[in-house]
Amino acid sequence: MRKMFWLLAAMAILVAACSTIDCSLNSRVAATYKLAGDVKKLATPLTVTAYLGDGNDSVILNKLADADSFQLPMSYNHHEDTFYFKSDTTANAPTDTVVITKEDIPHFEAVDCNPIFFHEIKGVRHTRHFIDSIVVNNKHVTNGPSKSNFFLYLKSDIH
Amino acid sequence: MDLPRVTSSSISRAIFISLLLIQQLTAPAQQPRKVIAIAPDTIPLLRGIQISADMVGLIQMAVSDYGQYEAALKVNLKDKYFPVVELGLGKCDATDPSTTLGYKTSAPYGRIGVDYNLMKNKHDIYRLYGGFRYAFSKFSYDVLSQGITDPVWREKVPFGATDVDGSYHWLEGVLSIDAKIWGPVRMGWSVRYKRRLFHKHGDIGEAWYVPGFGRGGNTRLGGTFNVSIEI
Repeated sequence: MRKMFWLLAAMAILVAACSTIDCSLNSRVAATYKLAGDVKKLATPLTVTAYLGDGNDSVILNKLADADSFQLPMSYNHHEDTFYFKSDTTANAPTDTVVITKEDIPHFEAVDCNPIFFHEIKGVRHTRHFIDSIVVNNKHVTNGPSKSNFFLYLKSDIH
Repeated sequence: MDLPRVTSSSISRAIFISLLLIQQLTAPAQQPRKVIAIAPDTIPLLRGIQISADMVGLIQMAVSDYGQYEAALKVNLKDKYFPVVELGLGKCDATDPSTTLGYKTSAPYGRIGVDYNLMKNKHDIYRLYGGFRYAFSKFSYDVLSQGITDPVWREKVPFGATDVDGSYHWLEGVLSIDAKIWGPVRMGWSVRYKRRLFHKHGDIGEAWYVPGFGRGGNTRLGGTFNVSIEI
């Protein structure tokens, strides 16, 4: 009986000593764009620039080629994000403006995990120079493995 | 002429031996059965009441960011069954220096269940219990932050939420032991395996600390150290 007492005491101390960090392995939250339709791979390099809202732009995807999908970040606190999709690297290359409307959702896991924002896509609109259409496939943008958020249809006569 | 007499003698001997054997087989059945008198159970149904306090929660409260004040009322039925009610107040006020995130909650919780004395001698001063609890807590929590910086858009964004409503229902499997120390004073340990049944949380995310349950998420094991008085 005494042995049992000390065994349980040791177990309780071990339990009290246990500490775990339950953060997600992937803390990056980004929307996934997958090429669909006739053009299933980027034949010419694609550069995407984000409009920061203060008159400045920032390149967030630089000359991506030969890919069938890519990821773009979303802002933490803007109702709309504006991106400039530029196909090819030449000066006169066609550029499309893509505007994503979304809701930002703060996501908390634990005090020792970095805070992140999830997003819920409300809509998308764009110009049609080389993009044929963009379809919302999955409106939830999270850090987990999930379906592609957008299907991107490019015009086949340009690519 | 001798042959028939020998045969007759052998048959007689065989019959005699068979009868003896049958008698041996049937003899015990014919003896009077011993009646073992079962002593009547004179132990009264209500043997006492035990009031206890958990020391682990107090130590947690003193040395970490969270803990609980917990007391329990246990009824001793025939030294065998122990229906129990546990009530507590769980508190958490944690801030991580690396993320600057804070979490705050304070709420009551309750558990109800029963323990069974697993000892062969139920009336020993030691008791080994196996039991279960159903537990519930309804609480609200705050997630506090100084804001986070958007790495692309380069602006500081507020993050957090206050008074987020949450609730937790869970089951606990309990293995515990206690012993009479002096007079009515008893001390003992319990180890608990917790299993969440269902829960509710706000849009910001799950509760990091749940009063009575402890750290949320993958927490499964817990324990108490009880000092109790049995009257």
